[in-house]
Amino acid sequence: MNLEKVVFGFFVLFAATLNFGFFIGDIGDPALHNSYELYAAVVVNLIATVLKFGDRTQIGAVHLATSLVADLQLIAAALVWGFASYVAAEGLTREATASVVSLSGGALMANIVSVVLLVVETVSFQRR
Amino acid sequence: MSNPLLLFWYRLFATEPVRRAPRWRVPMSTSRKASATIFLVMRRMRVPLIVLIVIFAISTLGLTLIPGQDAEGRPWRMGFFDAFYVMSFTASTIGFGEIPYAFTYNQRMWLTISIYLTVVGWAYAIGSLLALLQERGFRQALALQHFTRKVERMREPFLLIVGYGRTGELLARSLDALGRRFVVIDRDDGRIDDLDLDSYHADVPGLVADAGDPGHLAVAGLDLPSCEGVLALTDDDEANLAVVQAAALLRPDLPVITRAVSPTTAERMRAFGTPTVVNPFDRFGDHLRVALRAPASYQLMTWLESGPGASLPPRGSPPSHGHWVICGYGRFGREVTQDLRAEGLDVTVVEPSDVAEHHPDAIVGYGYEPGVLGRAGIEHAAGFVAGTDNDTTNLSLIAAARRANPTLFVAARQNKAASAPLFAAVEVDSMLVPADVVAHEVYAQLSTPLMWRFLQEVPRREDAWAAAVVGRLTQLCGEHLQAVWKVRLTATEAPALQAWLAEGGARLGDLLRNPDDRDEPLHAVPLLLARAGEGDNGADVEVAPDDDVVLAPDDELLLVGWPSARRLLDATLLVDATREYVVHGRHVPSSWVWRKLTRRPA
Repeated sequence: MNLEKVVFGFFVLFAATLNFGFFIGDIGDPALHNSYELYAAVVVNLIATVLKFGDRTQIGAVHLATSLVADLQLIAAALVWGFASYVAAEGLTREATASVVSLSGGALMANIVSVVLLVVETVSFQRR
Repeated sequence: MSNPLLLFWYRLFATEPVRRAPRWRVPMSTSRKASATIFLVMRRMRVPLIVLIVIFAISTLGLTLIPGQDAEGRPWRMGFFDAFYVMSFTASTIGFGEIPYAFTYNQRMWLTISIYLTVVGWAYAIGSLLALLQERGFRQALALQHFTRKVERMREPFLLIVGYGRTGELLARSLDALGRRFVVIDRDDGRIDDLDLDSYHADVPGLVADAGDPGHLAVAGLDLPSCEGVLALTDDDEANLAVVQAAALLRPDLPVITRAVSPTTAERMRAFGTPTVVNPFDRFGDHLRVALRAPASYQLMTWLESGPGASLPPRGSPPSHGHWVICGYGRFGREVTQDLRAEGLDVTVVEPSDVAEHHPDAIVGYGYEPGVLGRAGIEHAAGFVAGTDNDTTNLSLIAAARRANPTLFVAARQNKAASAPLFAAVEVDSMLVPADVVAHEVYAQLSTPLMWRFLQEVPRREDAWAAAVVGRLTQLCGEHLQAVWKVRLTATEAPALQAWLAEGGARLGDLLRNPDDRDEPLHAVPLLLARAGEGDNGADVEVAPDDDVVLAPDDELLLVGWPSARRLLDATLLVDATREYVVHGRHVPSSWVWRKLTRRPA
């Protein structure tokens, strides 16, 4: 067992699950989308991205690309959330919540691709 | 008369001869190694970055969880944005204060812990990044990538110079003055740093690398189609041989010029393709022979070989008969002895080592020891050569010889560039600086092929003829050599002249007139006229043609003159109206519309 692989798999999967947890639920209802979960998703995604630095294989490059996409989407979601709750006069409305959640939905797509890549890598490693 | 726009247009759209693509691609393992280093750096930054992210995440999260109070004392919790903002300015030690409300003691305690944590995190991350940037391997990798990119972007033809010692530097200066591009490899990083300090007109990519590795040569552009030649100029014969081999095997189509001191290495080099091997000692011997026989020819050759900007060397008067004493019978001494004996001179060798004992008329001993030079007959000698491989010895030899016979003609070998002022101070009549000899020789071969043919032609001529050429050149350029360039009277390079040349009776004197006033001659001297013909080497050569020589299409001319003369002559070659004025003295309109209106064809 390779500890590096455990940590890597843990963070990739954890990023995807947190993202999914935040995303699920009525898209416009602020009560169903916990801001702490979004925060955790951003942090875990950043860590996953850094873990993917410096891999020279083709699959490593795609891994890094998916993580960068997820980061961008989640940070955009966090910015929209921050703008809605602190700056906008109306506060966190249904529309604002919907756009935060849909942005995190995009990040979820990237995270799913990441997990698929992880599974593909693992399976192909087993066959060798 | 000349229209600069037309010239520009012609230069922009003139067709270039197609260059052949290289036969093999050399694997560029070196550049892959460079990118590997950058990946390694990214890998090493993983831990510091993750530590930073985790510390930030924990302290921000803690700040949102710890209960606080607003201005009226009601319970209040910090949102994520506030918490992130506070942590950002706290971590970076900017410290804007307690925002938006004054903190409770709980919050202050947490913030105290966070401050220490985040400062440590930042220090660790920034420290590791700076350490990586300072690392030698990383900097080398960056330099290599930078170099590779610069070489690949060079679209003009360039030369690959291996070894940037004194020879390489002299040659690089002359080539730069000619407007040629080049890439430099040297093993010594100090020399490559000097490359940045030496101010060249063009950007010169330099790499610190061992040229024995073909991968380094490949990175330096050996397999690029724009590489037009390889110069192996290190002071190590073995390293030069390695470069010659790599170039001959990987790019057999490229010309290679190299320096070799030992005849054995030169033979081994010649086994690989047809490299031009320059042996400085051999060349000095040849030059000395020319200098003995024809001082003016020697003066002309050394002047032209020194390149544009060189000042006229003084014309020496070496004794053409008499007794010569040579100190030092190494590779240099042997070459000079052979050459002097071939000239019919009487030579005595003085050499301390046992090499001399096998030599019948050699005197064993150090030349500066009392009595040794006397035994060699220095009192009645005409010439003296200090040719050991030690500058201190050579200087004391010169002093000893001069004391015995003040009227001697003294030739000396200078081994180190640093000794130059000392040799200049003792006023030696003929100097051998191996680095300079190689640089001048290679320059003569590279600058234009016609120049090389001219220089080979000079020793066959009379001394008086050479003196006349030197006289014409000094009258034209003064004491400093001006531009040297080649003109080809082909359909692509001289389109305006084709009809005139085909008619026959095209006098050279008519061509070399000033386009601003045709009664004035152009400030240029033709040195050589080469005509593609039935000659043994594929061309007939006329040295220093006079004004009445009749030109033919596809002739090649080698000219020396002012840079402005070159531009004016270009106009005559390219622009119909200028040619019409210069050659025939007729004014014709240069624009198409005006020509149609006046119905006068150009």
